Amino acid sequence: MFRALRLKQEPVKVAPEPKPLTIDEWMGDAQFPLGIRTINALPHDAKQRFYRTLIPPALLGRLGINPILWRGSGHAVELFAEPASGKVNLSINNVQDPNDAYFVLELQDNATNGIDLNLIILNDPDAEKFGIDFDAEGKATHWGTITRNLAEEERAMRAGLAPAQVRAGMGFARQVLQQLDVFLALCARQAVSLEPLTYASAWIFEKNGFAYVRGHKLMDDIQREFQPGGTLHAALDGSTPFRQPDAWQTVRGRAWAIQDGILEVIGERWRDLRMIKVVGKHAGVETFPNAKY
Amino acid sequence: MELNTTSNGNIQIISVKGSLDALTAPELADALATQLREGHTQLVADLAELEYTSSAGLRVLLNSVKEARNHDGDLRLAAVQPNVEKVLKLSGFMSIMKSFESVDAAVASFAG
Amino acid sequence: MPDNFILTRAAELDALGAFREFIARVCERLQIPNEISFELQLACDEAATNVIRHGYAGMNPGSIMLELRPQRKKIEMVLSDFGHPFEPVETDAPDVNAMLQDQPTTGFGLYFIYRTMDDVQYYSDEQGNHLVLVKELSSK
Repeated sequence: MFRALRLKQEPVKVAPEPKPLTIDEWMGDAQFPLGIRTINALPHDAKQRFYRTLIPPALLGRLGINPILWRGSGHAVELFAEPASGKVNLSINNVQDPNDAYFVLELQDNATNGIDLNLIILNDPDAEKFGIDFDAEGKATHWGTITRNLAEEERAMRAGLAPAQVRAGMGFARQVLQQLDVFLALCARQAVSLEPLTYASAWIFEKNGFAYVRGHKLMDDIQREFQPGGTLHAALDGSTPFRQPDAWQTVRGRAWAIQDGILEVIGERWRDLRMIKVVGKHAGVETFPNAKY
Repeated sequence: MELNTTSNGNIQIISVKGSLDALTAPELADALATQLREGHTQLVADLAELEYTSSAGLRVLLNSVKEARNHDGDLRLAAVQPNVEKVLKLSGFMSIMKSFESVDAAVASFAG
Repeated sequence: MPDNFILTRAAELDALGAFREFIARVCERLQIPNEISFELQLACDEAATNVIRHGYAGMNPGSIMLELRPQRKKIEMVLSDFGHPFEPVETDAPDVNAMLQDQPTTGFGLYFIYRTMDDVQYYSDEQGNHLVLVKELSSK
Protein backbone atom coordinates (compact mmCIF):
# COMPACT_ATOMS: atom_id res chain seq x y z
CA MET A 1 0.00 0.00 0.00
CA PHE A 2 2.61 2.55 1.10
CA ARG A 3 5.70 2.44 -1.06
CA ALA A 4 7.71 5.21 0.53
CA LEU A 5 8.09 4.29 4.15
CA ARG A 6 11.05 4.85 6.32
CA LEU A 7 11.45 2.07 8.82
CA LYS A 8 12.83 3.17 12.13
CA GLN A 9 14.91 0.29 13.45
CA GLU A 10 15.96 1.78 16.73
CA PRO A 11 13.45 2.52 19.45
CA VAL A 12 13.51 6.16 20.45
CA LYS A 13 15.31 6.55 23.75
CA VAL A 14 12.97 8.02 26.25
CA ALA A 15 14.84 7.57 29.48
CA PRO A 16 18.45 8.38 30.19
CA GLU A 17 20.97 5.80 31.33
CA PRO A 18 20.23 5.14 34.97
CA LYS A 19 22.51 6.92 37.37
CA PRO A 20 22.22 8.36 40.85
CA LEU A 21 20.59 11.76 40.84
CA THR A 22 21.50 14.71 42.96
CA ILE A 23 18.77 16.73 44.59
CA ASP A 24 19.63 19.56 42.19
CA GLU A 25 18.94 17.31 39.24
CA TRP A 26 15.64 16.36 40.83
CA MET A 27 14.62 19.91 41.24
CA GLY A 28 16.05 21.00 37.93
CA ASP A 29 13.73 19.18 35.53
CA ALA A 30 10.26 17.91 36.39
CA GLN A 31 9.99 16.24 32.98
CA PHE A 32 13.12 14.16 33.56
CA PRO A 33 11.94 10.52 33.17
CA LEU A 34 12.95 8.34 36.08
CA GLY A 35 13.49 4.61 35.86
CA ILE A 36 13.20 2.11 38.69
CA ARG A 37 17.00 1.75 38.72
CA THR A 38 17.34 5.48 39.27
CA ILE A 39 14.91 5.47 42.17
CA ASN A 40 16.55 2.38 43.65
CA ALA A 41 19.84 4.28 43.75
CA LEU A 42 18.31 6.79 46.19
CA PRO A 43 18.78 6.52 49.96
CA HIS A 44 16.32 4.11 51.57
CA ASP A 45 13.97 6.70 52.99
CA ALA A 46 13.83 8.69 49.78
CA LYS A 47 12.85 5.67 47.74
CA GLN A 48 10.32 4.60 50.34
CA ARG A 49 8.61 7.96 49.89
CA PHE A 50 8.45 7.27 46.17
CA TYR A 51 7.21 3.73 46.37
CA ARG A 52 4.64 4.61 49.02
CA THR A 53 2.50 6.03 46.23
CA LEU A 54 2.08 2.53 44.79
CA ILE A 55 -0.17 1.23 47.57
CA PRO A 56 -3.65 2.75 47.89
CA PRO A 57 -4.02 4.08 51.45
CA ALA A 58 -7.51 2.56 51.54
CA LEU A 59 -5.99 -0.88 50.98
CA LEU A 60 -3.64 -0.36 53.92
CA GLY A 61 -6.57 0.88 55.98
CA ARG A 62 -8.57 -2.21 55.12
CA LEU A 63 -5.72 -4.38 56.42
CA GLY A 64 -5.15 -2.24 59.50
CA ILE A 65 -1.70 -1.13 58.37
CA ASN A 66 -0.36 2.29 59.23
CA PRO A 67 0.25 3.97 55.83
CA ILE A 68 3.38 5.75 57.05
CA LEU A 69 4.95 3.10 59.26
CA TRP A 70 3.89 0.24 56.94
CA ARG A 71 3.09 -2.03 59.89
CA GLY A 72 0.05 -3.06 61.90
CA SER A 73 -2.52 -5.77 62.64
CA GLY A 74 -0.05 -8.58 62.06
CA HIS A 75 0.79 -7.38 58.56
CA ALA A 76 3.88 -5.68 57.23
CA VAL A 77 4.80 -3.99 53.99
CA GLU A 78 8.10 -5.21 52.57
CA LEU A 79 10.07 -3.22 50.04
CA PHE A 80 12.75 -4.82 47.90
CA ALA A 81 14.46 -2.14 45.87
CA GLU A 82 18.15 -2.96 45.76
CA PRO A 83 20.56 -0.30 44.55
CA ALA A 84 21.81 -1.18 41.04
CA SER A 85 18.67 -3.24 40.42
CA GLY A 86 16.05 -2.15 37.90
CA LYS A 87 13.35 -3.95 39.81
CA VAL A 88 11.15 -3.04 42.75
CA ASN A 89 8.98 -5.49 44.64
CA LEU A 90 6.44 -4.31 47.18
CA SER A 91 4.50 -6.80 49.21
CA ILE A 92 2.15 -7.02 52.16
CA ASN A 93 2.82 -10.17 54.13
CA ASN A 94 1.52 -11.96 57.11
CA VAL A 95 4.13 -11.30 59.82
CA GLN A 96 3.72 -14.90 61.04
CA ASP A 97 4.20 -16.40 57.58
CA PRO A 98 6.31 -14.20 55.28
CA ASN A 99 5.55 -16.52 52.34
CA ASP A 100 1.87 -15.69 52.61
CA ALA A 101 1.62 -12.45 50.66
CA TYR A 102 -1.72 -10.69 50.25
CA PHE A 103 -0.44 -7.97 48.03
CA VAL A 104 2.50 -8.07 45.63
CA LEU A 105 3.42 -5.45 43.09
CA GLU A 106 6.58 -5.76 41.05
CA LEU A 107 7.81 -3.16 38.56
CA GLN A 108 10.89 -3.37 36.38
CA ASP A 109 12.71 -1.22 33.85
CA ASN A 110 12.41 -2.98 30.50
CA ALA A 111 14.78 -3.25 27.56
CA THR A 112 13.02 -0.56 25.53
CA ASN A 113 13.27 2.14 28.18
CA GLY A 114 9.77 1.52 29.44
CA ILE A 115 8.49 0.13 32.73
CA ASP A 116 6.93 -3.32 33.04
CA LEU A 117 4.42 -4.40 35.63
CA ASN A 118 5.80 -7.89 36.30
CA LEU A 119 3.37 -8.97 38.93
CA ILE A 120 0.28 -7.83 40.73
CA ILE A 121 -1.38 -9.96 43.38
CA LEU A 122 -4.31 -8.86 45.50
CA ASN A 123 -5.57 -11.54 47.83
CA ASP A 124 -8.21 -11.26 50.49
CA PRO A 125 -6.38 -12.45 53.68
CA ASP A 126 -9.69 -13.63 55.14
CA ALA A 127 -10.48 -15.84 52.15
CA GLU A 128 -9.68 -19.54 51.93
CA LYS A 129 -6.27 -20.38 50.48
CA PHE A 130 -5.98 -22.83 47.59
CA GLY A 131 -2.80 -24.74 46.90
CA ILE A 132 -2.66 -24.08 43.16
CA ASP A 133 0.86 -22.66 43.52
CA PHE A 134 2.48 -25.97 44.52
CA ASP A 135 2.07 -29.36 42.90
CA ALA A 136 1.52 -32.69 44.69
CA GLU A 137 5.29 -33.06 45.22
CA GLY A 138 5.52 -29.61 46.72
CA LYS A 139 7.20 -27.97 43.74
CA ALA A 140 6.22 -24.47 42.72
CA THR A 141 3.80 -24.37 39.77
CA HIS A 142 4.32 -20.65 39.14
CA TRP A 143 0.58 -20.10 39.52
CA GLY A 144 -0.18 -23.03 37.26
CA THR A 145 1.80 -21.73 34.32
CA ILE A 146 4.64 -24.31 34.43
CA THR A 147 2.93 -27.30 36.04
CA ARG A 148 -0.53 -27.63 37.51
CA ASN A 149 -2.11 -28.89 40.69
CA LEU A 150 -5.32 -30.11 39.08
CA ALA A 151 -7.17 -31.05 42.27
CA GLU A 152 -6.54 -27.63 43.86
CA GLU A 153 -7.31 -25.80 40.60
CA GLU A 154 -10.65 -27.58 40.40
CA ARG A 155 -11.43 -26.65 44.00
CA ALA A 156 -10.43 -23.04 43.32
CA MET A 157 -12.59 -22.94 40.19
CA ARG A 158 -15.59 -24.27 42.05
CA ALA A 159 -15.04 -21.65 44.75
CA GLY A 160 -15.33 -18.94 42.06
CA LEU A 161 -11.66 -18.06 41.66
CA ALA A 162 -9.91 -17.38 38.36
CA PRO A 163 -6.81 -19.30 37.25
CA ALA A 164 -3.59 -18.27 39.05
CA GLN A 165 -5.54 -16.98 42.08
CA VAL A 166 -4.48 -18.45 45.40
CA ARG A 167 -7.24 -16.65 47.25
CA ALA A 168 -10.29 -14.65 46.27
CA GLY A 169 -9.35 -11.12 45.31
CA MET A 170 -9.59 -8.08 47.52
CA GLY A 171 -11.33 -5.93 44.92
CA PHE A 172 -8.64 -3.26 44.91
CA ALA A 173 -7.34 -3.77 41.38
CA ARG A 174 -8.77 -0.51 40.08
CA GLN A 175 -7.34 1.54 42.95
CA VAL A 176 -3.92 -0.09 42.66
CA LEU A 177 -3.82 0.62 38.93
CA GLN A 178 -4.88 4.20 39.55
CA GLN A 179 -2.07 4.55 42.07
CA LEU A 180 0.27 3.13 39.45
CA ASP A 181 -0.74 5.95 37.10
CA VAL A 182 0.08 8.43 39.87
CA PHE A 183 3.46 6.77 40.45
CA LEU A 184 4.28 6.83 36.73
CA ALA A 185 3.32 10.49 36.44
CA LEU A 186 5.51 11.21 39.48
CA CYS A 187 8.38 9.54 37.58
CA ALA A 188 7.53 11.52 34.43
CA ARG A 189 6.77 8.25 32.67
CA GLN A 190 3.96 7.88 30.22
CA ALA A 191 3.16 4.20 30.03
CA VAL A 192 3.42 0.82 31.70
CA SER A 193 3.47 -2.58 29.99
CA LEU A 194 2.71 -6.08 31.18
CA GLU A 195 2.14 -9.64 30.08
CA PRO A 196 -1.25 -10.86 31.30
CA LEU A 197 -0.91 -14.19 33.09
CA THR A 198 -4.43 -15.38 32.28
CA TYR A 199 -7.43 -14.53 30.12
CA ALA A 200 -9.19 -13.22 33.23
CA SER A 201 -6.33 -10.86 34.05
CA ALA A 202 -6.21 -9.59 30.45
CA TRP A 203 -9.91 -8.84 30.73
CA ILE A 204 -9.39 -6.95 34.00
CA PHE A 205 -6.55 -4.91 32.47
CA GLU A 206 -8.79 -4.09 29.49
CA LYS A 207 -11.42 -2.80 31.90
CA ASN A 208 -8.73 -0.61 33.43
CA GLY A 209 -7.73 1.06 30.20
CA PHE A 210 -4.98 -1.16 28.78
CA ALA A 211 -4.54 -1.81 25.04
CA TYR A 212 -2.58 -4.61 23.40
CA VAL A 213 0.99 -4.46 22.14
CA ARG A 214 0.55 -8.07 21.01
CA GLY A 215 -2.44 -10.40 21.11
CA HIS A 216 -5.43 -8.14 20.48
CA LYS A 217 -6.29 -10.32 17.50
CA LEU A 218 -5.98 -13.44 19.69
CA MET A 219 -8.49 -11.94 22.14
CA ASP A 220 -10.88 -11.22 19.24
CA ASP A 221 -10.38 -14.77 17.96
CA ILE A 222 -11.15 -16.14 21.42
CA GLN A 223 -14.34 -14.09 21.61
CA ARG A 224 -15.47 -15.20 18.15
CA GLU A 225 -14.65 -18.89 18.60
CA PHE A 226 -16.37 -19.12 22.00
CA GLN A 227 -19.67 -18.10 20.40
CA PRO A 228 -22.15 -20.91 19.59
CA GLY A 229 -20.96 -22.50 16.35
CA GLY A 230 -17.33 -21.56 17.06
CA THR A 231 -14.42 -23.99 17.42
CA LEU A 232 -13.75 -23.19 21.09
CA HIS A 233 -17.45 -23.44 21.89
CA ALA A 234 -17.50 -26.93 20.37
CA ALA A 235 -14.44 -27.92 22.41
CA LEU A 236 -16.32 -27.21 25.66
CA ASP A 237 -17.28 -30.87 25.74
CA GLY A 238 -16.99 -31.66 29.44
CA SER A 239 -13.90 -33.80 28.75
CA THR A 240 -12.22 -32.19 31.77
CA PRO A 241 -13.75 -30.30 34.70
CA PHE A 242 -12.35 -27.09 33.18
CA ARG A 243 -14.22 -27.50 29.87
CA GLN A 244 -17.86 -27.37 30.95
CA PRO A 245 -20.35 -26.52 28.18
CA ASP A 246 -21.43 -23.22 29.78
CA ALA A 247 -17.87 -21.98 30.40
CA TRP A 248 -17.94 -19.69 27.34
CA GLN A 249 -20.49 -17.41 29.02
CA THR A 250 -18.17 -15.97 31.65
CA VAL A 251 -14.68 -14.52 31.83
CA ARG A 252 -13.71 -17.02 34.53
CA GLY A 253 -15.19 -19.97 32.63
CA ARG A 254 -13.22 -19.08 29.53
CA ALA A 255 -10.10 -18.42 31.58
CA TRP A 256 -10.19 -21.90 33.13
CA ALA A 257 -10.76 -23.56 29.75
CA ILE A 258 -7.80 -21.59 28.39
CA GLN A 259 -5.72 -22.51 31.45
CA ASP A 260 -6.64 -26.10 30.52
CA GLY A 261 -5.10 -25.63 27.07
CA ILE A 262 -8.31 -25.33 25.03
CA LEU A 263 -6.69 -22.82 22.64
CA GLU A 264 -4.92 -25.78 21.01
CA VAL A 265 -8.06 -26.39 18.96
CA ILE A 266 -7.53 -23.06 17.21
CA GLY A 267 -3.78 -23.67 16.92
CA GLU A 268 -2.91 -21.18 19.66
CA ARG A 269 -1.58 -21.02 23.17
CA TRP A 270 -1.92 -18.42 25.89
CA ARG A 271 1.46 -16.79 25.34
CA ASP A 272 3.19 -13.70 24.01
CA LEU A 273 0.36 -11.36 24.88
CA ARG A 274 1.51 -7.94 25.91
CA MET A 275 -0.54 -5.01 27.11
CA ILE A 276 0.15 -1.33 27.60
CA LYS A 277 -1.50 1.44 29.59
CA VAL A 278 -0.87 5.02 28.71
CA VAL A 279 -0.94 7.23 31.79
CA GLY A 280 -4.20 9.13 32.02
CA LYS A 281 -5.73 7.39 29.04
CA HIS A 282 -8.35 4.65 28.88
CA ALA A 283 -8.06 2.72 25.60
CA GLY A 284 -11.63 1.43 25.86
CA VAL A 285 -10.78 -2.07 24.64
CA GLU A 286 -13.61 -4.55 25.11
CA THR A 287 -12.89 -7.91 23.49
CA PHE A 288 -15.71 -9.60 25.45
CA PRO A 289 -18.56 -7.08 25.25
CA ASN A 290 -21.08 -7.09 28.11
CA ALA A 291 -19.02 -9.76 29.82
CA LYS A 292 -20.06 -11.51 32.99
CA TYR A 293 -17.04 -12.13 35.20
CA MET B 1 -20.04 -4.22 0.68
CA GLU B 2 -22.52 -5.97 -1.62
CA LEU B 3 -21.97 -6.93 -5.23
CA ASN B 4 -24.61 -7.69 -7.82
CA THR B 5 -23.92 -8.60 -11.43
CA THR B 6 -26.41 -8.24 -14.28
CA SER B 7 -25.93 -8.17 -18.02
CA ASN B 8 -27.17 -6.07 -20.90
CA GLY B 9 -26.24 -7.81 -24.12
CA ASN B 10 -22.49 -8.36 -24.02
CA ILE B 11 -22.02 -5.84 -21.30
CA GLN B 12 -21.70 -6.94 -17.70
CA ILE B 13 -22.87 -4.52 -15.07
CA ILE B 14 -21.39 -4.92 -11.60
CA SER B 15 -23.23 -2.93 -8.97
CA VAL B 16 -21.18 -2.08 -5.89
CA LYS B 17 -23.00 -1.13 -2.71
CA GLY B 18 -21.47 0.11 0.54
CA SER B 19 -17.76 0.77 1.13
CA LEU B 20 -14.62 -0.28 -0.67
CA ASP B 21 -11.56 -0.59 1.55
CA ALA B 22 -8.67 -3.00 2.08
CA LEU B 23 -11.08 -5.50 3.66
CA THR B 24 -13.73 -5.47 0.94
CA ALA B 25 -11.72 -4.60 -2.21
CA PRO B 26 -10.47 -8.19 -2.80
CA GLU B 27 -14.08 -9.31 -3.25
CA LEU B 28 -14.62 -6.78 -6.04
CA ALA B 29 -11.25 -7.74 -7.54
CA ASP B 30 -12.40 -11.37 -7.65
CA ALA B 31 -15.74 -10.47 -9.25
CA LEU B 32 -14.09 -8.34 -11.95
CA ALA B 33 -11.37 -10.94 -12.58
CA THR B 34 -14.04 -13.63 -12.98
CA GLN B 35 -15.82 -11.54 -15.64
CA LEU B 36 -12.58 -10.96 -17.52
CA ARG B 37 -11.60 -14.62 -17.26
CA GLU B 38 -14.94 -15.61 -18.76
CA GLY B 39 -14.28 -13.36 -21.69
CA HIS B 40 -16.49 -10.43 -20.67
CA THR B 41 -14.35 -7.43 -21.42
CA GLN B 42 -17.05 -4.75 -21.64
CA LEU B 43 -17.74 -3.92 -18.03
CA VAL B 44 -19.73 -1.24 -16.25
CA ALA B 45 -19.23 -0.56 -12.54
CA ASP B 46 -22.50 0.81 -11.23
CA LEU B 47 -21.38 2.98 -8.31
CA ALA B 48 -24.75 4.57 -7.50
CA GLU B 49 -24.69 2.95 -4.06
CA LEU B 50 -20.95 3.03 -3.42
CA GLU B 51 -20.54 5.52 -0.58
CA TYR B 52 -16.84 5.25 0.03
CA THR B 53 -13.60 4.04 -1.45
CA SER B 54 -10.02 4.13 -0.25
CA SER B 55 -6.92 3.59 -2.37
CA ALA B 56 -7.51 -0.15 -2.04
CA GLY B 57 -10.68 0.21 -4.13
CA LEU B 58 -8.93 2.43 -6.69
CA ARG B 59 -6.24 -0.15 -7.18
CA VAL B 60 -8.85 -2.79 -8.02
CA LEU B 61 -10.56 -0.50 -10.54
CA LEU B 62 -7.23 0.41 -12.10
CA ASN B 63 -6.13 -3.22 -12.47
CA SER B 64 -9.44 -4.13 -14.08
CA VAL B 65 -9.34 -1.20 -16.51
CA LYS B 66 -5.85 -2.25 -17.48
CA GLU B 67 -6.85 -5.87 -17.95
CA ALA B 68 -10.04 -5.06 -19.88
CA ARG B 69 -8.22 -2.67 -22.22
CA ASN B 70 -5.51 -5.27 -22.83
CA HIS B 71 -8.34 -7.39 -24.24
CA ASP B 72 -9.83 -4.56 -26.31
CA GLY B 73 -12.56 -3.93 -23.79
CA ASP B 74 -12.99 -1.39 -20.98
CA LEU B 75 -14.30 -0.89 -17.49
CA ARG B 76 -16.49 2.21 -17.34
CA LEU B 77 -17.95 3.88 -14.30
CA ALA B 78 -21.57 4.87 -13.81
CA ALA B 79 -23.35 7.12 -11.31
CA VAL B 80 -20.26 7.97 -9.23
CA GLN B 81 -21.26 9.59 -5.92
CA PRO B 82 -19.57 12.77 -4.61
CA ASN B 83 -17.26 11.18 -2.02
CA VAL B 84 -16.03 8.54 -4.43
CA GLU B 85 -15.67 11.12 -7.17
CA LYS B 86 -13.49 13.16 -4.88
CA VAL B 87 -11.10 10.23 -4.38
CA LEU B 88 -11.09 9.49 -8.11
CA LYS B 89 -10.23 13.12 -8.85
CA LEU B 90 -7.59 13.31 -6.15
CA SER B 91 -5.83 10.32 -7.66
CA GLY B 92 -6.03 11.49 -11.26
CA PHE B 93 -8.25 8.54 -12.17
CA MET B 94 -10.81 10.73 -13.91
CA SER B 95 -8.24 11.40 -16.64
CA ILE B 96 -7.94 7.74 -17.54
CA MET B 97 -11.37 6.30 -16.75
CA LYS B 98 -14.59 6.92 -18.57
CA SER B 99 -17.34 7.92 -16.21
CA PHE B 100 -21.05 8.37 -16.99
CA GLU B 101 -24.06 9.85 -15.25
CA SER B 102 -26.03 6.62 -15.37
CA VAL B 103 -25.70 2.91 -16.05
CA ASP B 104 -27.73 3.36 -19.25
CA ALA B 105 -25.33 6.00 -20.53
CA ALA B 106 -22.32 3.83 -19.66
CA VAL B 107 -23.88 0.84 -21.43
CA ALA B 108 -24.78 2.96 -24.46
CA SER B 109 -21.17 4.23 -24.66
CA PHE B 110 -19.97 0.75 -25.64
CA ALA B 111 -22.22 0.82 -28.74
CA GLY B 112 -20.39 3.80 -30.17
CA MET C 1 -11.95 21.27 28.10
CA PRO C 2 -13.12 19.41 25.00
CA ASP C 3 -13.96 15.72 25.08
CA ASN C 4 -11.43 13.20 23.88
CA PHE C 5 -12.80 10.47 21.69
CA ILE C 6 -10.91 7.17 21.61
CA LEU C 7 -11.62 3.92 19.80
CA THR C 8 -9.21 0.99 20.09
CA ARG C 9 -9.41 -2.06 17.85
CA ALA C 10 -7.20 -5.03 16.98
CA ALA C 11 -5.02 -4.29 13.96
CA GLU C 12 -7.19 -6.28 11.59
CA LEU C 13 -8.86 -5.15 8.39
CA ASP C 14 -12.35 -5.20 9.89
CA ALA C 15 -11.26 -2.32 12.12
CA LEU C 16 -11.29 -0.01 9.09
CA GLY C 17 -15.08 0.16 8.90
CA ALA C 18 -15.33 0.65 12.66
CA PHE C 19 -12.87 3.56 12.55
CA ARG C 20 -14.73 5.28 9.69
CA GLU C 21 -18.04 4.87 11.45
CA PHE C 22 -16.55 6.27 14.66
CA ILE C 23 -15.13 9.32 12.87
CA ALA C 24 -18.48 9.90 11.15
CA ARG C 25 -20.31 9.70 14.48
CA VAL C 26 -17.93 12.02 16.31
CA CYS C 27 -17.96 14.55 13.46
CA GLU C 28 -21.75 14.49 13.41
CA ARG C 29 -21.84 15.12 17.14
CA LEU C 30 -19.37 17.99 16.81
CA GLN C 31 -21.19 19.38 13.77
CA ILE C 32 -18.09 19.06 11.64
CA PRO C 33 -18.99 19.29 7.92
CA ASN C 34 -19.36 16.03 5.98
CA GLU C 35 -16.56 16.96 3.65
CA ILE C 36 -14.05 17.14 6.49
CA SER C 37 -15.47 14.01 8.08
CA PHE C 38 -14.91 12.20 4.81
CA GLU C 39 -11.32 13.40 4.51
CA LEU C 40 -10.59 12.31 8.08
CA GLN C 41 -12.07 8.90 7.30
CA LEU C 42 -9.96 8.53 4.17
CA ALA C 43 -6.72 9.57 5.88
CA CYS C 44 -7.41 7.31 8.85
CA ASP C 45 -8.27 4.43 6.55
CA GLU C 46 -5.05 4.74 4.56
CA ALA C 47 -2.88 5.06 7.66
CA ALA C 48 -4.60 2.25 9.54
CA THR C 49 -4.43 -0.04 6.50
CA ASN C 50 -0.69 0.44 6.51
CA VAL C 51 -0.36 -0.42 10.20
CA ILE C 52 -2.58 -3.47 9.72
CA ARG C 53 -0.59 -4.70 6.72
CA HIS C 54 2.93 -4.02 7.96
CA GLY C 55 3.06 -2.71 11.52
CA TYR C 56 2.53 -5.99 13.33
CA ALA C 57 4.36 -8.29 10.92
CA GLY C 58 5.66 -11.40 12.65
CA MET C 59 3.49 -11.22 15.78
CA ASN C 60 -0.09 -11.65 16.87
CA PRO C 61 -1.43 -8.18 16.08
CA GLY C 62 -1.90 -5.72 18.89
CA SER C 63 -4.13 -2.65 19.00
CA ILE C 64 -4.62 0.43 16.91
CA MET C 65 -5.87 3.35 18.93
CA LEU C 66 -7.72 6.13 17.14
CA GLU C 67 -8.11 9.34 19.05
CA LEU C 68 -9.94 12.45 17.90
CA ARG C 69 -9.08 15.66 19.68
CA PRO C 70 -11.33 18.51 18.66
CA GLN C 71 -9.84 21.95 19.22
CA ARG C 72 -11.16 25.42 18.55
CA LYS C 73 -10.33 25.72 14.88
CA LYS C 74 -8.99 22.32 14.00
CA ILE C 75 -9.33 18.67 14.77
CA GLU C 76 -6.38 16.47 15.62
CA MET C 77 -6.57 12.79 14.75
CA VAL C 78 -3.98 10.52 16.32
CA LEU C 79 -3.44 6.93 15.27
CA SER C 80 -1.30 4.99 17.72
CA ASP C 81 0.02 1.46 17.48
CA PHE C 82 2.60 -0.62 19.30
CA GLY C 83 4.15 -2.52 16.41
CA HIS C 84 7.12 -1.80 14.17
CA PRO C 85 7.60 1.93 13.70
CA PHE C 86 7.14 3.14 10.12
CA GLU C 87 7.48 6.76 9.27
CA PRO C 88 5.14 7.77 6.46
CA VAL C 89 7.16 10.06 4.22
CA GLU C 90 5.49 12.53 1.89
CA THR C 91 5.41 11.32 -1.72
CA ASP C 92 4.78 12.84 -5.13
CA ALA C 93 1.45 12.35 -6.82
CA PRO C 94 1.20 8.79 -8.11
CA ASP C 95 1.26 8.57 -11.90
CA VAL C 96 -1.90 6.74 -12.99
CA ASN C 97 -0.76 6.51 -16.60
CA ALA C 98 2.42 4.78 -15.47
CA MET C 99 0.28 2.39 -13.43
CA LEU C 100 -1.80 1.59 -16.51
CA GLN C 101 1.39 0.58 -18.25
CA ASP C 102 2.69 -1.44 -15.30
CA GLN C 103 5.45 1.04 -14.63
CA PRO C 104 6.47 1.49 -11.03
CA THR C 105 5.16 4.57 -9.24
CA THR C 106 4.27 5.48 -5.69
CA GLY C 107 1.05 4.32 -4.05
CA PHE C 108 -1.98 6.45 -3.26
CA GLY C 109 -2.20 5.85 0.46
CA LEU C 110 0.39 8.35 1.67
CA TYR C 111 -0.46 10.78 -1.08
CA PHE C 112 -4.08 10.86 0.09
CA ILE C 113 -3.02 11.48 3.67
CA TYR C 114 -0.82 14.42 2.71
CA ARG C 115 -3.39 15.81 0.25
CA THR C 116 -6.33 15.70 2.65
CA MET C 117 -4.65 16.73 5.92
CA ASP C 118 -3.16 20.10 6.85
CA ASP C 119 -0.35 18.69 8.95
CA VAL C 120 1.22 15.24 9.30
CA GLN C 121 3.61 14.34 12.13
CA TYR C 122 5.03 11.00 13.18
CA TYR C 123 6.89 9.95 16.28
CA SER C 124 7.64 6.88 18.40
CA ASP C 125 8.01 6.84 22.17
CA GLU C 126 7.36 4.58 25.14
CA GLN C 127 3.63 4.84 24.42
CA GLY C 128 4.01 3.43 20.90
CA ASN C 129 4.08 4.90 17.40
CA HIS C 130 1.91 7.89 16.70
CA LEU C 131 0.71 9.45 13.49
CA VAL C 132 -0.70 12.88 14.28
CA LEU C 133 -2.94 14.27 11.54
CA VAL C 134 -4.35 17.77 11.77
CA LYS C 135 -7.31 19.10 9.82
CA GLU C 136 -8.24 22.78 9.94
CA LEU C 137 -11.94 23.36 10.51
CA SER C 138 -12.16 26.87 9.13
CA SER C 139 -13.37 27.11 5.55
CA LYS C 140 -10.60 27.39 3.00
